[in-house]
Amino acid sequence: MRRIIVVISVLAIVSIAAFFYWQSQQRAPVATEIVALQSAQGAEGFARVTEPREMQFPQDHGPHFDYQTEWWYYTGNLTAEDGRRFGYQLTFFRRGISPGVVTARASDWATNQIYFAHFAITDEKNNSHNEAEIFERGAAGLAGASGEPFHVWIDNWSATGSNPDASAVKLLADDAKMALDLNLNASKPPVVHGENGVSQKTETKGNASYYVSFTRMPTTGTIRINGENFSVTGDSWFDHEWGTTALGENAAGWDWFSIQLDSDQELMFFQIRNKDGSIELLSSGTLVEADGSTKYLKRDEVKISVLDTWTSPVSGGKYPSKWRVEIPSANLDLTLTPLIADQEMRVSFTYWEGAVDVKGTSNGKNVRGQGYVEMTGYGNARGDVGY
Amino acid sequence: MHLTLFKTILRDQLHRPWLTLLLILSVALGVAVVVAVDLANASATRAFQLSTEVIVGKATHQIVGGANGFDDSVYRNLRLQGFRNAAPIVEGYAGAKELGGQTMRVLGIDLFAEPPFRTYITAGTNVDVNALTAFYTQPGAVLISADSAARYNLKVGDTLTLQIGTQKKPVTIVGLMRQPNEVSSRVLEGLILTDIASAQELFGLDGKLTRIDLIATDEQANKIAAALPEGLRLVRASEQADTVTQLTAAFQLNLTAFSLLALAVGMFLIYNTVMFSVVQRRRMLGILRCVGVTGREIFLLIMSEAALLGLIGSLIGLGLGMLLGRLTVALVTQTINDLYFTLTVSDVNVDAFSLVKGLLLGISSALLAAALPAYEASAVPAVTVLQRSDLEDRIRRLLPRLNVIGAVLIVIGAAILIFGQSNVALLFGGIFIALFGLVLYVPVVTIFLMRIATATLGRFGLIARMASRTVTQALSRTSVAIASLMVAVAVVIGVTVMIASFRSTVENWLAQTLNADFYITTPLAGANRVVTMDPALVEKARAVEGVQNIEVLRSVTVRGLETGDLRLNATQGGVARESRIFRSYSGDPSKIYEQLNAGAIAITEPFANKHHVAEGDTLTLLTDKGAQSFPIVGVYYDYSSDQGSILMSLDVYRKFWNDPKISGFSVYVAPSYDVNQVEDAVRVALSGNDVTVQSNRALRDAALVIFDRTFAITRALQVIAIAVAFIGILSALMALQLERTRELGTLRATGMTLRQLWRLTLLESGLMGAAAGILAIPVGLVLAAILIYVINLRSFGWTIFFTSVPEVYVQALVVSIGAALIAAIYPMVRLSHLQVIEALREE
Repeated sequence: MRRIIVVISVLAIVSIAAFFYWQSQQRAPVATEIVALQSAQGAEGFARVTEPREMQFPQDHGPHFDYQTEWWYYTGNLTAEDGRRFGYQLTFFRRGISPGVVTARASDWATNQIYFAHFAITDEKNNSHNEAEIFERGAAGLAGASGEPFHVWIDNWSATGSNPDASAVKLLADDAKMALDLNLNASKPPVVHGENGVSQKTETKGNASYYVSFTRMPTTGTIRINGENFSVTGDSWFDHEWGTTALGENAAGWDWFSIQLDSDQELMFFQIRNKDGSIELLSSGTLVEADGSTKYLKRDEVKISVLDTWTSPVSGGKYPSKWRVEIPSANLDLTLTPLIADQEMRVSFTYWEGAVDVKGTSNGKNVRGQGYVEMTGYGNARGDVGY
Repeated sequence: MHLTLFKTILRDQLHRPWLTLLLILSVALGVAVVVAVDLANASATRAFQLSTEVIVGKATHQIVGGANGFDDSVYRNLRLQGFRNAAPIVEGYAGAKELGGQTMRVLGIDLFAEPPFRTYITAGTNVDVNALTAFYTQPGAVLISADSAARYNLKVGDTLTLQIGTQKKPVTIVGLMRQPNEVSSRVLEGLILTDIASAQELFGLDGKLTRIDLIATDEQANKIAAALPEGLRLVRASEQADTVTQLTAAFQLNLTAFSLLALAVGMFLIYNTVMFSVVQRRRMLGILRCVGVTGREIFLLIMSEAALLGLIGSLIGLGLGMLLGRLTVALVTQTINDLYFTLTVSDVNVDAFSLVKGLLLGISSALLAAALPAYEASAVPAVTVLQRSDLEDRIRRLLPRLNVIGAVLIVIGAAILIFGQSNVALLFGGIFIALFGLVLYVPVVTIFLMRIATATLGRFGLIARMASRTVTQALSRTSVAIASLMVAVAVVIGVTVMIASFRSTVENWLAQTLNADFYITTPLAGANRVVTMDPALVEKARAVEGVQNIEVLRSVTVRGLETGDLRLNATQGGVARESRIFRSYSGDPSKIYEQLNAGAIAITEPFANKHHVAEGDTLTLLTDKGAQSFPIVGVYYDYSSDQGSILMSLDVYRKFWNDPKISGFSVYVAPSYDVNQVEDAVRVALSGNDVTVQSNRALRDAALVIFDRTFAITRALQVIAIAVAFIGILSALMALQLERTRELGTLRATGMTLRQLWRLTLLESGLMGAAAGILAIPVGLVLAAILIYVINLRSFGWTIFFTSVPEVYVQALVVSIGAALIAAIYPMVRLSHLQVIEALREE
C-alpha cells in the first residue's frame, strides 16, 4: 500500500507501455497522454480490495488476475567478500487489461496481461547505478507468474521458489551491463501490512491493496557488474502487492522506506505528499520486531525530516537525500543516508529507488542498519509523470 | 560566343515555327517515353524498398523455416536465454473485399518485441492507447493505414472480411496507422497489422511463427544459427530483400531498353530537323562567315541552339512523361503483381533522379544529333554558298565508307549479342549497335530501290520518274527520314513477332500441360505466393461421382544450398505426367516419373538456365530433416515463372518436409461423365470453403490474360514509337519541300499544274514510306530473332518457338506508306499557297 503513486503511474504507464516505449524520443506529449488516460483506462470488472483477506501461502505469493495491478518487488543490500557495498532492485510488474485470464482463444499468444520488470544495481565504490527495463506479453511462456510453485518471470529474469512455501527464492536477471544470481531465504514469516490486511490508499473504499512482505531475507550469490563477478552476501526485502486502484486527486508524489536494523527489527513506512505540501493522512507503516511480531504505524506516529537534497543532473528533479525518521511510539530515531546520491531510475518513467545506510537509536541503544528508499514525483523536469 | 549572334540565329530559327515545333516535339516524345518508363520502374522499386523497410525494419537477420511456419519454441528459447533483439512474426496474405479486393500483407506482431525493429506506429501516429489495448487483447483486431481507410471510406470499428486460403474471416479495424511523411505512409497501404495471436488464429498457425527478425552481430548470429533445429535457417535480412529485387530486374531493364529505343528513333528526328535548319540557313551562315564569324563560333551557335531547343523539348517531355507515368506505373505494378510479388504502388513516385536523367538524356541526344549538321555548317566556306549538289555528291562519295562502317557495326553488335552472356544492358547495347549498322545501309538500299521504282514507275510518266529520282537526289535528307521510319516500324515488327511467338509458345505449352478437366485452388493463388488448402478437401472432391482421378499439388518456397530460395512444386498422381515436355533428360525418358518417385527432381528450363544446372547434376535442399541432395533427371519447358521451379514427387516432399497441407488439386473426369456436371457437383461438395474451381479452358484463358497484361506496356511503347516515326517522316518531308521551294517554283513557272505538283509530292512521300516499310521487314525479323533467341533466353531463360506473323509485314507496309502519305498533306497544302515569284526569288 505504500506505492500509491507508483500504482497510479504503473497503471497508466503499463497500459500504454508499448506506445510510451516507442515514443521515447518524445516524452513530453506522452506525459500529457498519461494524465489524460487516467480516466480513460477503466478498471471495470476488476475486483477491489475492500475487506481483510485470509492469506493462503504459498498461493497468495502468486498472481491475482482478478485485480488489475500486481507486483513482486525485491530490493537488497549486499556486500562482497572484500567489503565492497552493492544495492539491487529487481521488480516484476503485472497489469491486466481485463479481469481474469484468457482461455477461449486458439492461440497461446493470446493474452490480456502485460508484464514488465525493472532491474538495477548500485555500486558504491564506483559511485555507479545501472538500470534496465523489459516488457513482455504475458503469454506463450515469455512472461508469467504462478504461486504454486512460486515463479515469476519475464524472459531470463525470474524469481523462482526454492522451497514449497516460497520463503526461499532464487533470483536471476541478466542485462548487458549487469547480472545477478541470488538465493534468498526468509528468516521471518511473511508480514501482512495495513489495517487488518487492507492497505488503504485514499478515503475511497476499494482504493486499497493487499500488501505482503518478507522483511528480511538473508541473501547469498553472485552479481556481475561491467564484466566483473562478485560473490556477495546480505539481506533482501520482498514486497508483493496487488489491487485495483485509482489516483488520489491531490497526490503529488510519495516516499517509501524499508529499513533493516541490526537489532533484528524492520521498519516499513510510506507517506503520500499532497500537491499542497501536506502529507496524506492515510500514510502508514509497519514495525516488525525481532520475534516477527508486527505493529501498525499511523501517519501521526512517524515524523520524517529532510536533512539534505540532491538534484538530478539528468531529470532535474530535486530529491531529498538524507532523512531523519523519528517514531516516538516505537522509541526509534534514525538517520538515513543514500549509498550514493544518484540512484535515479531512468526507465519508462523516472523515479528514485536506492540503497541507504541507517544509523540511530532503538530503545535508546545505538543501532545500525540498511534499507531501500523509493521516491516518486520529484523528477518531473523532463515531463515525466509528475503530479 | 556573342549573345547577339545567338539571338540572330535563334530568331532565324523561330521564323520557321513548324520546324522548331517538330524538333521540340521529337525531343519531347523521346524524353517522355524514357521518363515514363523510368518513373514506373523507380516507383515500383521505391515502393518495394519502402515496404521492405517497413516489413524487415531494422532487422539484420531473419530466422525462416518451412512453408507452414515453425514451432514458436524457437523464439521462446531465444528470449528465455536473454536474447532480446528478436521479434516474432506471423505473416500471410489475405484479400480484403472492403479494401477494393486488394491482396494485403497481414503482419502479425508482438507489440513488446517490436520497438527495436519497426516504426509503423511511431511518433506522429494517431494510434491511441485504446486502439493499442484493443489491438493487444481483442481477437481479430487490426490496424490499417489511415489513407486506405479514407480511400475506402472505412473507420475505426468497421469490419473487414479477409479472404484467407479457402475461408473468409472477419476482423475489426481498431485503429488507423499514420506515418508522418507521405512516402512511407504509402507503404502502409498494403499492410494489415494485427497482434501475433490474432495472426496465428487467422492463418491457422497456432503455436507457429513464420519468421523471427533479429538484430544481431555476426558472432551472435552464428551462435544462434548453430543452435537452430533442422529445417530452420538464419539469413541476412539484406539477402532476403536482394533476392526479391533481383526478381524484377530483367523485366524492368527490358522496359528501359524499349524506352531508349523510342528515344533513339527520336534522335533520328532531331538529326533530321537540325540538318534541315542548317541547310535552310546556309546562305545566312555564309554571310556570317563573310562578316568574320569563325567556323568554330558557327558550330557553337548551332549546338547552343540545339541545346536550348533540346532543353525546351526535354522539359515538355518531362511533363508528358509524368502524365504517361501514371499509365505505366499501373501497367508495371500489375505485371509485378501477376508475376513476381505483391506490391502496392498507389501513386507515381516522382523521383528527382528520373527527371534529371530524362532532362540530360533529352539535351544530350539533341546535341548528339545536332553535332554532324553543326559541323557541316561550320564548314560552310566563307565566300561561296555551298551548292546542294556539292553536299549530295559528298554523301554519295561517302557511301562506300558508310557501308564499311555499317558492316563493322553489325559485326560488333552481333559479337556482343553472341558473347554478351545474360547482361541485358549489354545485350541491348548490342542491338543498338547492330541496328545502327543496318541503318547505315539505308542510303545504298534506297538508291537501289529507287532505281527499281524508276524502272517500273517510269512507264507511268514523267512525274513518277521525277519522284523516284528526287528521292535519290536528296539522299542526305530522304535516307534519314526513311531510316527513322524504318527503325520505328522494324521495332514494331520485331516486338510484335516476338510477342506473337511467345504467346503461341505459351498457348501450346498450356494446351500440353493443362490436361485435367478442372482445377481447384484458393482465390489468392498467384505468382510466388504460397497458398495453403486443407487436404481434406481432396477427399471431399474424390467422393463426387464422376471424378476419375485427382492430382494434388503442393507449391512452396524452400531453400537450396547452391541456389538460394526456390519454388518447389510437388505433385502426385500419374495421369498428367506424360504431358510435361522435356527439353532434355538423362536415362530412359519413359522412366523419368519412376525416377521422380524414387527421389529425383526435374527442373524447369528457366531454372536450369538461371542456375546453370542440368540433368546429371544434383541440388541440395534444406529440408525439415536437414540438408538433402536430389539428383536432377530432366529439364522441362515451363513459362510460369522466369525464376524457375523444381518438380518433385509429393511423396518424396512429404518424406522430407513435415507439411501435410496442399496448394491445390486438379480433377480428371471419367470419360462417360459430363465435365460441367461433375464440376458443379464438386463445387457443391466443396461449398462452404472458399475455393476457386476453374475449368481447363478458364485457367488457360486466365493465364493468357496475365500474359497479355504483361505485354500491355510493350504495346503502349510501340504505339509511341510509331508516333515518333510519323513525326519523323512528316518533318523530313516538310523539310524536303521547303528546301525545294525554288525548284517547285521553277516547275510551276515552266507550266506544271498544282495537281501535278501534288501528285509529285504524294509519290515522293509514298516511295519513301514504301522504302521504309520494305526495309523494316528484314530488320524487324532480325530484331525479333534477337529478342527471342538472345534476350529472352538469356534474361528470362526460356525458349520461345519462332512464329511467323504474315499480317505484320502487310501492316508494316501499310503503316509506313500511310504515315508517309498523311505526312505529305501539309506540304501539299503549302504548295497551294506557293507564290511562284516569291519561290523563285528565294535564292
